Amino acid sequence: MTPRHSPTLLVTGATGLVGGGALRDLLTLAPDARALALVRTREGGALLGESLGPLGRRVSAVLGVVRLPGLGLELSVRSELRGQITHLLHCAGDICFARPLEQARAVNTAGTGHALELADDLGAPCEFVHVSTAYVAGRAVGRVEEEPSGGAQGFVNAYEQSKHEAEALVRDWGSRFVILRPSSIVCDSRTGAVAQVNAVHRALFLYFSGLVPMLPGDEGAPLDLVPVDWVTRAVARLTLDPASSGRTFHLCAGAAAPTLGALFDVTEEVLRGDPEFLRRGVSRPDVVDLGTYRLFEQSVYELGDPKLVRILRGLSTFVEQLTLPKTFETRGAEGALGEQAPRVLEYWPRMLSHLLSTHWAVARESQEAA
Amino acid sequence: MSTGLASIAYAFPRGRATLAELGAQGRLTSQPDVLARFGFEQVRVAVDESPYALALEAARAALRGVDPESIDLLVYAGTPSAAAFQSPGSDRSRSVLSTLDRFKYSGPRLQSELGLVRATTLGVGELACVSLFGALRVARALVESENLKRVLCVASEFFPEEAGREVIFNCTSDAACAFLVEQGAERNRIVAQAQVTKGYYWDCEELRDEIIASYFPTARRVVEDVLQKAGWAREDVAWVIPHNVSLRSWEVLLGLLRLPSARLYTRNIARNGHTLVGDNFINLADALDSGEVRPGDRLLLFSYGFGGHWSALAMEA
Repeated sequence: MTPRHSPTLLVTGATGLVGGGALRDLLTLAPDARALALVRTREGGALLGESLGPLGRRVSAVLGVVRLPGLGLELSVRSELRGQITHLLHCAGDICFARPLEQARAVNTAGTGHALELADDLGAPCEFVHVSTAYVAGRAVGRVEEEPSGGAQGFVNAYEQSKHEAEALVRDWGSRFVILRPSSIVCDSRTGAVAQVNAVHRALFLYFSGLVPMLPGDEGAPLDLVPVDWVTRAVARLTLDPASSGRTFHLCAGAAAPTLGALFDVTEEVLRGDPEFLRRGVSRPDVVDLGTYRLFEQSVYELGDPKLVRILRGLSTFVEQLTLPKTFETRGAEGALGEQAPRVLEYWPRMLSHLLSTHWAVARESQEAA
Repeated sequence: MSTGLASIAYAFPRGRATLAELGAQGRLTSQPDVLARFGFEQVRVAVDESPYALALEAARAALRGVDPESIDLLVYAGTPSAAAFQSPGSDRSRSVLSTLDRFKYSGPRLQSELGLVRATTLGVGELACVSLFGALRVARALVESENLKRVLCVASEFFPEEAGREVIFNCTSDAACAFLVEQGAERNRIVAQAQVTKGYYWDCEELRDEIIASYFPTARRVVEDVLQKAGWAREDVAWVIPHNVSLRSWEVLLGLLRLPSARLYTRNIARNGHTLVGDNFINLADALDSGEVRPGDRLLLFSYGFGGHWSALAMEA
């Protein structure tokens, strides 16, 4: 009989949205768990410790970088950790959709390779838990299973491709892995708070600003979104569950994902409660076929209006996904977790209210940074 | 009660300028080849004509064969007050606003010179490229509420000489247009009208990106609104009679409306450019004259005017 180890985790991306939340949830779920958090700087480690409060006492920071072989850990640290780590939870990633492929690969694919190499070196009982994305499905349409993605249909952006390639590395590595695929993470389902802005929030802010005339797609097609609190809890639970080993889980709304049209209906209703939005008479973006959208996009590019060009280039990194309707199969995740993801349309208004009440501060900052 | 257009006429100035010429004169903000790809070739440019002179010419043509005394109302839309009488480059054009000249109005002068002795006049302003849609709306309402028999609508607008010839990626022309609205007209019957005004967009310069972004979804909404009011389905529309903005923007809008490009009357975009006052009605006149639009055809007219006006008209030829 294999002796049971208290969970000792090495977590990459622990200062990020999913990694940070998952670490907190892991420590809460497993009172005997300890964790090492890979951080780039000592200051980062200190901040992480503070943010975790009393749970931080069970976390040690180790300096490292995912871009480097062995995650850049010092040899002495590697040596100390050998045989001690039960789970390498790999959450680090570059989630920017606009990166060139080589840059995305450097973090998402090569970084995963470095983490796997380290897991190899650390030896048993290390389980490799890889936080991927449901969009490794790329341009596939229809039902997407909790299985390896073929990638034959290609990808909408370098993020998807680099994560797809990372998954392939994980599967080739061996059988002691778990692959977790969240879809688009939008907010905290309880408060609506948005801790990290992504393409969804940027598109919403552009809509609020009256700068999105149209989007390609179909109002009847599903749009899969998930709240961060549910995702991080699911990551923590599936990481600690020995039955997860060797499996792939979609952390997605799945069949319960709302349609684009339903999301627009709710969005419009909430935004119209804002006097400023109402005064500006902003129109709901039209959902059009890809040909019409591309014609508009091409016209703007040809005319070179700087602001519109910037907006459309930003949108172009992901909007094509709206024309590729897919439903992520969630039977595996639901079976293991015993629950579905929270209903999007229940927390979506809370997120919009949060964005309105904070005057879209996070989205504005992100826009300016972009 | 059926109200329709008994006649339509227009007048262009003698001058023309090609995209290459405008580009060489520094009167375009976009590259000529880009504008050519968007469907433009040339514009009509006033040399020594005044807006009023063209308005008079168009109005006379619209009244051909009509007893002037039968006109109940003249609605003038277009160049405001005394500026209408100045030709490009006139020294007086800069001073008229400080004298009694400012009260020299086009409507009364047209009434007098055309001999419309029974007609009253009124002016419709601040509608830019939907001015004649506004004039028609007023005319139709008064025909139906005050039992007027005939209303002459006239509009004339020039671009200031010092202004360029491009407005948000569209090449602009000087022109005048007039039509006669008649109670019981058998042709060009007005079936429905719809307009949306979003005053937020009043500052065209400051909000140009927002205007471009709002243009398409609001246009779709107004068109769907007019089709619904008319009781027509999309497939009932035989012709879309456009305002002469870029062909590309029409292709995008038709994509939104799920209407085939073949139904768009496009021929005047290249040869006339975009006039401020009367594209749709100038195009309609040409389409009727050429026989492309046949009696009974269901027509959709749509235009956007600065100030945030989207206007659509359903008409039976």
